[in-house]
Amino acid sequence: MAQLPRDPLEIREQFGPHLAFSSGSRLDRGVEPDALVKTHCCFCGQQCGIQLKVKDNEVIGFEPWMEFPFNRGMLCPKGVKRYLQGSHPDRLLRAQLRDPAAEGGFRGIDYQDAIGRVAKQLGQLQAKYGNDSIGMLSGASLTTEKTYLMGKFARVCLKTPFIDYNGRLCMVSAGAGNKKAFGIDRAANPWSDIVGSEVVWISGANVAECAPITTSYVWQAREQGAKIIVVDPRITPVARTCDLFLPIKPGRDVALFNGVLKLMIEHDWLDHDFIENHTVGFEALAESVQQWTPARTAEVTGIAERLIRQAAEWWGTASTSFLMHARGIEHHSHGVQNVLGAINIVLASGRIGREHCGYATITGQANGQGGREHGQKCDQLPGGRDLADPAHRAHVAKVWDVDPDELPPPGVDAYELFRKIDRGEIRGLISLCFNPLVSLPDSGFVARMLDKLDFYVAIDFFLNETARHADIVLPGSLQEEDEGTVTQIEGRVIKINQAVDPPGEARQDWRIIQDIAAALGRPHGFTFNHSREIFDELRRASQGGVADYSGMTWEKIERQFGVCWPCPSEDHPGTPRLFEPGTPNPIAGDAGPFYFPDGKARFNLAEYTPPTEEVDAEYPVILTTGRVVSQFLSGTQTRRIGPLVDQYPEPRVEIHPRLAAQLGIQDGQWTTISSRRGELTLRAMVVKTIRPDTVFIPYHWAGKQSANRLTIAAQDPISKIPEYKVCAVRLRKAASPPANASDETSHGHPGK
Amino acid sequence: MAIPENKYFFIDPHRCIGCQSCVQACSECDTHKGKSMIHLETVDRLQSPQTLPVICMHCDSPTCAEVCPADAIKRTEDGVVQSARKPRCIACNNCVLACPFGVPKMETSMDLMMKCDMCYDRTSIGKKPMCATVCPSGALHYGTLSEIEELRPRSRTNNEFRFGGQTIRTKVQMMVPRQSPATHLDVADGMFESPADEADDAMLSGAVFELPTVQ
Amino acid sequence: MKSPLLPRESLIAGAYGLGAMLILAALIVLGSRQLSHFDAALVGYTFASLFAMFGIVYRYSMWLQRPPTALYWRRGWQAFFTRRGRARNVGLMFRRLFSSFALNIFIWRRNWLRGAAHWLIMWGCVLAAAITFPLVFGWVHFEFADGSFERYRANIFGFSTFSFETDSLLGFLIFHGLVWASFLVIAGVMLAMRRRMRSHDALALQRFGEDLLPLIMLFAVSITGLMLVVSYSWMDGFAYEFLSITHAATVIFTLLWMPFGKFFHIFQRPAQLGVAFYKDAGQRGQQAICVRCEQPYASQLQVDDLIEVQRRLGYRYEFVTDRVDHYQRVCPRCRRISMALSQGKLWQESHGTAS
Repeated sequence: MAQLPRDPLEIREQFGPHLAFSSGSRLDRGVEPDALVKTHCCFCGQQCGIQLKVKDNEVIGFEPWMEFPFNRGMLCPKGVKRYLQGSHPDRLLRAQLRDPAAEGGFRGIDYQDAIGRVAKQLGQLQAKYGNDSIGMLSGASLTTEKTYLMGKFARVCLKTPFIDYNGRLCMVSAGAGNKKAFGIDRAANPWSDIVGSEVVWISGANVAECAPITTSYVWQAREQGAKIIVVDPRITPVARTCDLFLPIKPGRDVALFNGVLKLMIEHDWLDHDFIENHTVGFEALAESVQQWTPARTAEVTGIAERLIRQAAEWWGTASTSFLMHARGIEHHSHGVQNVLGAINIVLASGRIGREHCGYATITGQANGQGGREHGQKCDQLPGGRDLADPAHRAHVAKVWDVDPDELPPPGVDAYELFRKIDRGEIRGLISLCFNPLVSLPDSGFVARMLDKLDFYVAIDFFLNETARHADIVLPGSLQEEDEGTVTQIEGRVIKINQAVDPPGEARQDWRIIQDIAAALGRPHGFTFNHSREIFDELRRASQGGVADYSGMTWEKIERQFGVCWPCPSEDHPGTPRLFEPGTPNPIAGDAGPFYFPDGKARFNLAEYTPPTEEVDAEYPVILTTGRVVSQFLSGTQTRRIGPLVDQYPEPRVEIHPRLAAQLGIQDGQWTTISSRRGELTLRAMVVKTIRPDTVFIPYHWAGKQSANRLTIAAQDPISKIPEYKVCAVRLRKAASPPANASDETSHGHPGK
Repeated sequence: MAIPENKYFFIDPHRCIGCQSCVQACSECDTHKGKSMIHLETVDRLQSPQTLPVICMHCDSPTCAEVCPADAIKRTEDGVVQSARKPRCIACNNCVLACPFGVPKMETSMDLMMKCDMCYDRTSIGKKPMCATVCPSGALHYGTLSEIEELRPRSRTNNEFRFGGQTIRTKVQMMVPRQSPATHLDVADGMFESPADEADDAMLSGAVFELPTVQ
Repeated sequence: MKSPLLPRESLIAGAYGLGAMLILAALIVLGSRQLSHFDAALVGYTFASLFAMFGIVYRYSMWLQRPPTALYWRRGWQAFFTRRGRARNVGLMFRRLFSSFALNIFIWRRNWLRGAAHWLIMWGCVLAAAITFPLVFGWVHFEFADGSFERYRANIFGFSTFSFETDSLLGFLIFHGLVWASFLVIAGVMLAMRRRMRSHDALALQRFGEDLLPLIMLFAVSITGLMLVVSYSWMDGFAYEFLSITHAATVIFTLLWMPFGKFFHIFQRPAQLGVAFYKDAGQRGQQAICVRCEQPYASQLQVDDLIEVQRRLGYRYEFVTDRVDHYQRVCPRCRRISMALSQGKLWQESHGTAS
């Protein structure tokens, strides 16, 4: 399509982001609610239990849910204020048709009319350019039932290989690394194993802001004697009081892990029995890390040598430990290598698959785990199955009642999908729960690609920045308006309960997908009447796979406060801790705890390569990006919640005082940051808590405040994750504030 | 209804991660709808991300109540120092200035002092206060003494505070290291800090870096 | 810490109370022209009023003798009567009287329901008091004018004033003044009761004696008064005797209880005015600078006064260092930070810290 239908300011005036507050007459919280609905927070992968207060089909507040074992009532500020997304003035209550003549660029149309138009356009494009001309983008904040249906819809209804999801920006490096090393992609341990371990190693994870509840586990471990090691380019709130802080240069994590492994070998801090009996590939790895002397490690990683030695000693000599990492080591063009490096030091220590001996990646999105298991990933089928594997295709095709040969081959990753738009191979796009214009790197490119599409339909509850480019927007559902399951950070499948009905003409997302299938005249396999029926089919589809859900029922999930997969039969309690003798293992059987035919874990050579874009004279400063506690991902929801916006209203660029002094920039001054792809002007935040060679910008904002205008679209060759965590920039003091500095910030109550 | 006798509020500012859950949750409490009574102080963001939550300590003999000319601040039998009685408070600000912990807040538009009342609407019916329920770091905790002893083997409670010549005892307990010989906390120890030198700077002493040369 | 209840203070307060009561009694005798206009049927009300007078003045002067109140009392008047600001202060006083007392703006800001409830109750009570007290004390007295039964003349303090026709609209309004007052009070009490029965905050904090009893009393006074009107207007005086005794009982109870419960705020509240002038004076004067953060945080006047008040109350917030002599010179934010930092220091000593 063409450009945005109207000026962005006019679209914003009509569709937001506007701010919702609890004060005022809209919600009266001090009264007796009709119901308290036990469910979970809609935001991050920790999926804290929460009770929503409901009155007159509106969510009017929350009450902590003390019994849910993961968080026992604890919540971060996003969880506390999440209830304000309901009854929001920006909520899409009708389908919207692009209309440059209408106020705000869109006009409301009848839902059935919209579905008819969508089906017609998709049908025409497929008739003209083939089935492969339609792409689908999905999300990992959806329930597993929806993600399952999205994958099935692409392969069975549209018959296109081109579906991928926003977990591509999140979990894929960890997933790929875990599969290479363990043959399975899941946190190896429940969080309760953190407490009681002697050393907790946190690499590239701002736990306090991105997984706040995890802090309670880390602090509890420390209270019981654990030493906390934090590796990060910034002194994060947890790093402030940790026992050992390693201020790593962004993009050098694998070098640190290799250097630590070399010291472990040198001092014989190894578990020889474990290496011998349960792993393969150690010798080759040991040989390869010999080059990583402490001096070289220090030089590459930018960490003082004594700190590296200290960390290696604590790690090497501990008898129990827990290593966790997050996007900090994964968002790299060698993210998988970083993950493998981390796993190598875990395997060499032999401390896995036992109580208080753990390893985990901290899942980002609500359903980051479940959303990557059941088939919305471009190369994957339900149950963690492989789209390229004939046996796997046959199993799933049977459940779906289709010919295995009709299933399309593996597709491409979400970013490649945009490159396919560029090449004219993809002409139509369906998106759900994904805001790529804010969340993908080099967002200028993404915007041009959206405008190049012949037809774009977005399903969402708010008109997010990407959906502004759509031809038709279908009004989807909030998390509290549907029922289903998600799989949280520990691999625990939990139950999302419906609190209210979708308002106006908004529909539950899976019903919208089924309506499109029906309108296309291809309803076969898309006639579910309830999301529970989808879950029951998913159970069968996942049966016998690695991510086996077949033994779960919604009742069992609620009764047990969640069931950890694999759970192969109804009398199986689930598997909170992996790699213990006797855990369900469809690949190794009784051969061993790891998910390879020989039951042994794999050491992988973890190669260090510098980031794709190194600093140079022209762009001499490293830019790294990340999150703040009060916002979530692309901010579609959190930039509309008043108290959260008040907490951190706009992005600031964090600069060390040494660098700031050189640039002549003072705290609070407007600063222009430019990369080879774009530039931003933000206020400076001068802090001693960041490496002097690095600056940091949080990425939750859109347009002129979007950090992803600067980031590089380099990707890991294996996982295809973009390199959000390192690129080269230059900074200068801005001569004046940016024009319309506040255009992108959320505004007060709408006039409508 | 009254707060159960065996329930205490335990506060450990050292654990705070500055997430502001407490601030956001406090404003959800029914006794002060929409207004947050908790203070979350950022000590000095230039130096570190250190933040500190401050709730009412519920003094045994509350200075705020004594200096109130309107006799508006009352302490309940169960030891909770409540917000100013609305009919009496004349918004003179004495309590705000005199509270040794800096707790009361003045709502100028309403001519009313408001302060943390330990979520009396919740604690008096056996629930935990909002902030201590949601706090992800354990900086704020509400429970029994035996519970905290079990949870915090490296900590012990303290409720004696020294301000110059004045000793104040509080209902709220502040956690201190178990092995610390201190018999009380003295405000003077935290009041004037000597500027940290570079060896103590975890970033400058721990990072090997080349400052980019910028023109 | 509590200042001991010296007999001296009670004696002073007792003397003031007694004096006020005697003055009121004298005014009653004077205003009713040696009781010639005094309605003997209302003698119960009169004695209750006299006692209430004693109680209120006694409690007020006890209250004024508390160190912080005494200081504010003095300072408030000082601020009001500053030579330069006197004219402006009178203007300000009227403005503040209007916004705070006539309109209750500060209560409406809490919540419109509370504002409405208080405003209705307050004006209902003001109206009722303005009618009943002068009538009870014999200060206002109606008699037929011009020897006819068609006109009434009002005598105030024995001086004859205006007259009006008995069955005119004005007459109707005047004779039913208490009815209108009851309507206002009942409406306000209903709003307040609704809040007290529904809102979680009220349910948690309210106490029967302090919060509910006053509403019940106001309701009882109003409803029994209205029933009297109903009885003589439409029911030929059915149960009039019983109703008038019941009404008298509710009113007398309310009067006797005035000095003790929530109603005492009616007399305390004007102190708000004094505070406003004190704050004005403070703002015009020097500002106190915090010894830790070196930022202004309050008026020097108030800080010095608080040091004095705390000393009199027996607090020992003095420091013996060269950087600060009294804790009052530390601003609230630095107070919050300092205690937590001293706790953090203990932890830093016990384990390593990154920053």
